[in-house]
Amino acid sequence: MRFLWISVRKDWSRVRRDPFSLATSLAIPLILAVMMSLVFGRGQAVPQGRLLVADEDDSVSSNLLLGAFTRDPLGKMLLVEKVAQADGRARINRGDGSALLIIPAGFQEAFLRNRPFQLQLFTNPAQRILPQIVQQSLSIMVDGAFYVQHVAGDQLRAFDTGHAPPDELIASVSVSINHLVTSLRRYLRPPAMDLETEVVADPGESRSFAATFLPSMIFMGLLFIANSMALDIWKERLMGTLRRLAVTPAPLGTFLAARLIFVATVFALMALVGLAAARGLAGLPVASMTAAVMWLTFSGSALFLMVLVVALAAATARAASVMGNLIVFPLAMIGGCFFPFEWMPAWMARIGRLTPNGWAITQFQAILSGEIDARKLAVAVAGLTAVSAVMFIVALRRLRSGFMV
Amino acid sequence: MNEVAQLRKSFGELTAVDGVSFTAARGEIFGLLGPNGAGKTTIIGCISGLLTPSSGHVRVDGHDAVRHGPAARRVLGVVPQEISLYEDLSAVENLAYWGGAQGMRQPALGERMRTVLELTGLEDRTREPVKRFSGGMKRRLNFACGIIHQPKVLLLDEPTVGVDPQSRVRLLELVRAQARDGDCVLYTTHYMEEAGSLCDRLAIVDHGRIIAAGTLAELRAMLAERDLLRLSGSFQAEAAKAALAHIDGIEVLQADAELLILALPEASRRLPAIFAALAAAGSEVRGTTLTQPSLESLFIKLTGKELRE
Repeated sequence: MRFLWISVRKDWSRVRRDPFSLATSLAIPLILAVMMSLVFGRGQAVPQGRLLVADEDDSVSSNLLLGAFTRDPLGKMLLVEKVAQADGRARINRGDGSALLIIPAGFQEAFLRNRPFQLQLFTNPAQRILPQIVQQSLSIMVDGAFYVQHVAGDQLRAFDTGHAPPDELIASVSVSINHLVTSLRRYLRPPAMDLETEVVADPGESRSFAATFLPSMIFMGLLFIANSMALDIWKERLMGTLRRLAVTPAPLGTFLAARLIFVATVFALMALVGLAAARGLAGLPVASMTAAVMWLTFSGSALFLMVLVVALAAATARAASVMGNLIVFPLAMIGGCFFPFEWMPAWMARIGRLTPNGWAITQFQAILSGEIDARKLAVAVAGLTAVSAVMFIVALRRLRSGFMV
Repeated sequence: MNEVAQLRKSFGELTAVDGVSFTAARGEIFGLLGPNGAGKTTIIGCISGLLTPSSGHVRVDGHDAVRHGPAARRVLGVVPQEISLYEDLSAVENLAYWGGAQGMRQPALGERMRTVLELTGLEDRTREPVKRFSGGMKRRLNFACGIIHQPKVLLLDEPTVGVDPQSRVRLLELVRAQARDGDCVLYTTHYMEEAGSLCDRLAIVDHGRIIAAGTLAELRAMLAERDLLRLSGSFQAEAAKAALAHIDGIEVLQADAELLILALPEASRRLPAIFAALAAAGSEVRGTTLTQPSLESLFIKLTGKELRE
């Protein structure tokens, strides 16, 4: 037992003396996280575009129409900017903006008089999603305006006096509209029939950038460090320290257990610092810090054992490095470490969630958002422990069966 | 005491150690002398428990190295051929780790660490990372880690390879001190001089077998006080052998197109007769080296080849 702690202390001393060997493993995920944070910021992972509007009518109706673009949810996606028509055309031709909406003079009068009228929308071909959103939204608004005009056209036309309507007129039109709405209520809200709509939300749909991207980065860091620390067994072999250990009475199992404890403490520390930084600096929501740190420690240690078994199976240090990279990089790619599952095609995300790191990330996201209950977490930890125990035994057998000779 | 009986170790088709037997007593330095690849390190591996013998027995201070491995390893100290240290750590950290691996505890460990650091002359560099040490200092620390737990049997596998003369002298003195303290020391080397000056008894190993064993005096007697004459030039091997057969007391150890090695008494007095016989056989001698009886000449006599590094 005493040798266990001596070994853990030795491994920590080695890291303390050469911290860069560990830090370099974190370089890629750290750089990626910082760059992506700079690009997307702390907010929602929602694209934002610019809608240029040349409002040549500048009436109550045109302002009402534009107001619809500034309210949620469109307001989150679109920034409405009023421009002169010539300037707007020049900018959209340059690709500066998602779309240009031209509301010609006479829009309000045509709307109130129910006369044909044409709005002009120019979209930016370089963008695909946002111009379509503008187009669809505008189409819905125009349809809505058509029905409002048909139902309450007489009342609305009362305002078309060319100057501010008197209070008596506003009161009279309001009463008239109220009667109209009351008479339509039986059609609009049939009492015998009620439609209950439930929208099944995609869990990734409402997740912030931090919640979407940072777990991936954290697991990328875990995978890379697991790989680096697993390859250290080859350094020990080449230094001759493993052979020397084998001729002492200290059990190799204790040595391996000490290495696992060291790795677990590295992951725990990384998780604590990483999560605190991600929460404080990038706004990562963390429902339970303790559970999140524990999960990262457990899953990181399991990933370490997995890569260690591979490293021990290799015939040379170089082969171990190549094999480790051949496993770690594809796993990172498809298992949601380089790209979050939300950014992957559905088929790839389905496969990725079945990889060891993909499964661990999925559980981790559930822990972060508080969507996992204690029982499910206990089952996941038990599963992870069982798999880790098997890999520990496999690694120990390889160590004992001549790895160091 | 260390006892090896009919030790055999094979790696697939290759037999690295073939029926080796010897006994080394406490307070004795027993040398295993042989060229690289002779099987010395494999013998050390089997004694230390790093390798499992294919057959035969190894007993370390009475403990069977295979059946009672941990007990055998507790009384065994190994100084490996390669420098097996954590170079990022300091001398003290290395000693603390290897002492801990041997089951030592404070305060005895601390006391022993001070002693071995003093013995090896490293007491002034205790906190410095080993990677900043010279090769000789690393060798001395490598040795210190092997004796930290005061083993009863000490295995040293070519501990002076690549060491500067000053460190070599110091290391050899340390080895003698271990034997004086009552340790059984098993020492492998391919340096004849080192083996001759250090070891009480020697076994000459080649191709995994012990081809001669005894004290230095006993081994020298095997040469019957004959000189070793090494002739370089151009020879017709068979004709040269036939011509030399007429000279009394000559034994041809090696004969090829460019080298002749002969063992004979009073070689310097008989050189004219040898040159005349070789000239008559159509040979041309360009260089001559005469060596007095030594371990090297014994090795050449026994194996028919020189002991190369």
